[in-house]
Amino acid sequence: MALFETHHLHKRFGDQVVLEDITLRFEENRLSGIMGPNGAGKTTCFNVLTGRYKPDRGKVLFAGEEITGLPPRRIARKGIARSFQTMNLFDEYTALDNVVLALPRVRERGFDMLHNLSANGDARDEAAAVLSRIGLRGHEYSRAGDLSYGQRRALEIGIAVAAEPRLLFLDEPTAGLGTEATVALAELIQELRRTITIVVIEHDMKFLFGLADHIFVIHWGQVIAEGSPDALRTNPWVQRSNLGELA
Amino acid sequence: MTLTKRLHDWLTIPMLVSFAILGTLPLWVEAVGLYQYLGLEILIWMIFALGFNLLLGYTGLPSFGHGAFIGIGAYAFGLTQFNVAENLWVCLIGAVLVTAAFGGLTALFLSHRKGIYFALMSIAFGQIYFFIASQWTSVTKGEDGLLNIARLPVELGVTRLQIDSTPALYYFCFVVYVFCVLLLWRLVNSPYGKVLRAIKQNDQRVAFLGYNVVLYRWSVFTLSTAVAGLAGGLFAMAQQGAYVQIMSLQWSGIVVLMTLMGGGFVSFWGPVLGVALYFAARDLLGAHTEAWALWFGLLFMALMMFKPTGLAGICHDINARLSRKPVQPGPALSESVR
Amino acid sequence: MDFLYQLIPHIINGLALGLLFALVALGFMLIIGVMEVINLAHGSLFALGAYMALVLMAPEGGLPFAFMEPYYALPAAPRYIVALIVGPLLVALVGMGLELCLRRTYGQDPLYGLLLTFGAALVIEESIREVWGATEYYLPIPKAISGGFIFGDLIYSTYRIFAAVFAMGMIGLLWLFLNRTPFGAVIKAGAHDSEMVRALGYNLKVLRLLVFGFGAALAAVAGIIMAPIWGIRPVVGVDAVVPAFVVIVLGGVGSFWGAVSAGVMVGLVVALTAAFFTDWSLLSMYLLLLLVVTFRARGLAGKASVLEG
Repeated sequence: MALFETHHLHKRFGDQVVLEDITLRFEENRLSGIMGPNGAGKTTCFNVLTGRYKPDRGKVLFAGEEITGLPPRRIARKGIARSFQTMNLFDEYTALDNVVLALPRVRERGFDMLHNLSANGDARDEAAAVLSRIGLRGHEYSRAGDLSYGQRRALEIGIAVAAEPRLLFLDEPTAGLGTEATVALAELIQELRRTITIVVIEHDMKFLFGLADHIFVIHWGQVIAEGSPDALRTNPWVQRSNLGELA
Repeated sequence: MTLTKRLHDWLTIPMLVSFAILGTLPLWVEAVGLYQYLGLEILIWMIFALGFNLLLGYTGLPSFGHGAFIGIGAYAFGLTQFNVAENLWVCLIGAVLVTAAFGGLTALFLSHRKGIYFALMSIAFGQIYFFIASQWTSVTKGEDGLLNIARLPVELGVTRLQIDSTPALYYFCFVVYVFCVLLLWRLVNSPYGKVLRAIKQNDQRVAFLGYNVVLYRWSVFTLSTAVAGLAGGLFAMAQQGAYVQIMSLQWSGIVVLMTLMGGGFVSFWGPVLGVALYFAARDLLGAHTEAWALWFGLLFMALMMFKPTGLAGICHDINARLSRKPVQPGPALSESVR
Repeated sequence: MDFLYQLIPHIINGLALGLLFALVALGFMLIIGVMEVINLAHGSLFALGAYMALVLMAPEGGLPFAFMEPYYALPAAPRYIVALIVGPLLVALVGMGLELCLRRTYGQDPLYGLLLTFGAALVIEESIREVWGATEYYLPIPKAISGGFIFGDLIYSTYRIFAAVFAMGMIGLLWLFLNRTPFGAVIKAGAHDSEMVRALGYNLKVLRLLVFGFGAALAAVAGIIMAPIWGIRPVVGVDAVVPAFVVIVLGGVGSFWGAVSAGVMVGLVVALTAAFFTDWSLLSMYLLLLLVVTFRARGLAGKASVLEG
């Protein structure tokens, strides 16, 4: 039993079928990928996996438990975290505060109206540790809105990591990054994968092939191929779907 | 944790300044050409606005119908006095509970929404409550208002303090003010307050982090109406009656203006400054021109265009310039600047 | 059967009201579409229209300009036509002024824009109170369209029928404008994708300005026609913005005929409520709003939009 599975997901918007018979499995402690060109349905697929949309048919299972159709907050509480492609930060807050909110220990006490949060040194330390891990040491008190694009991208991932997830979804993490920043991002993900099961959604083939153990290729709303990067390089479907240059 | 930091969790300089100024008001208000009742009005509206700003400034939910709740509080106080007990504490609790009940009911509809939907629904509810209050004459006495609400004495077990006179009532309200300020200050610096402000910035992300955003919206709305109910009870005593006019859309709009012009978006003290500004405008400007409300509205527009952070924002800027530091918040978690 | 027959005049009233609501809503919708701004001042522009008409129709509501006297000597009908044309133009100017103010808030937290229009609504209402006071005025209308007549044992109001026909005409003209003229096409395009419009070379700033003015003019026309039905009071503005919003939520943002059908529905509800429970007719609008938003946030025929927050 894989950590995260989907069975025959089907989704349509109006009379347009966007996802058809999507069956995926992500094994624990592996770095998996979902690949496909834009408009292939991978973003919709991703939104269904993380609870933003309900599928019309099919099942989503996490650690054997069915989570189909649950709202995002319930899915988050089960131990699944996601980062967003378009930056979704708390711009007015400092980097530290952005991360503090994601900590489970803070979330558990969300309705505490009496204690001063800043008195909670443990929360602050934990958050600082996360920031350090994602390369933002020294920027704890910088306003999120003022950080550079690459730093914001790191913070975006950091918030998801802070939630101590069992499974981390990264939505097009390379979007908008230059070559140097992309390399740094790859290193970060390699570091994170040592302790977290990660699923990366990308259309940058080179990036994904360098990282993932197992990739699902989605095109025309369907899974057209799956396998390790080596296996996929020679896959005729992959080549036919014009996914860009292979690594 | 140093002693000063510990103290700071409870008391801050702006807080002490406000206590000093407001606590002594009856002593100097007439000397500056104003009158005692004005002080009472200002204090009560400050209490209301502090609760209201939890909703508006902190959580970003624009309620344009909140005036209805202070009206409900006033009526509830009066009705409790006439029908339950002539005890100050009982009546105040009655005011708070009844208003919070209405608030909770309203919030059931509103907490799933935000932005324009929220705003218009809040207007709708405000108008509905206004309508009910005007039409349910058997209970509220309609346009005439609920009259003869007494300023009940403060029963403290061993003694009983009469608060019939305006200055005496003022001091009682001041104690309530201190109580509210202390509690609300704790609240905004707590995890709950942090989540509220996050919801204002990006409620979608907050949901994805596992928080029940609807529940937070519901609770902060109800809380703000509980504070409104408390203010309403005090108001009933001040006016010695409960009237329907306070529940009108116009007043709800003025409350929004007051809260934001003072800087409710960026500061805990915004509402306090805003209320002071409003009444200063009303009495000082109003002495010179009938159209002072118009100028006030224009000032609001100008602030929204050029300085949405309001008076408090201007104070922050001046403060930053004086200390010649960049306008960067300090250790974020303590948020003392707010 | 007889009971339903009795309702016919009320249904006509509802139709008139509803088509006017639709007109206000359409102007509101254009502004949302092109500017993504929720104009809370839309209702006060509606009210302002009525007051402009008052100035142009009635000496006692007017401002004491000496040159106006020969104008007031004219019979009611030509003055009414002047009111219907000049009134909306004047209000369009106010609308454009508001758009200029709003420019500073574009790109910031949309809450500021919303609050700015809210402030504008208050300012306009206060200005109205300053100039005309809070008393209720009545708009004199030409004899030809006033009064009533009896048809088949029932009394009909001539004016309501005129209002319904006029509103239908305006809606038809608006449709033609949006769908059959080049300028209309630009506006529709702008409503879908303002970036594209700019890329095509149109001056977005001017477009926004004109659309805001146009939307304001539509609200003003509706206000003028509604004036004999609702009376002219400063608070009439709020009563106008709520049905506009209900209509849009019901009919869907971006749907022209959705707005029209929803408008008619709302108008009928209000008019029929007025037939049975007069005090409750305006309140019925608010209750309808609550129902509609609670159960049908996206409307019957609409797309997700800036309204979603």
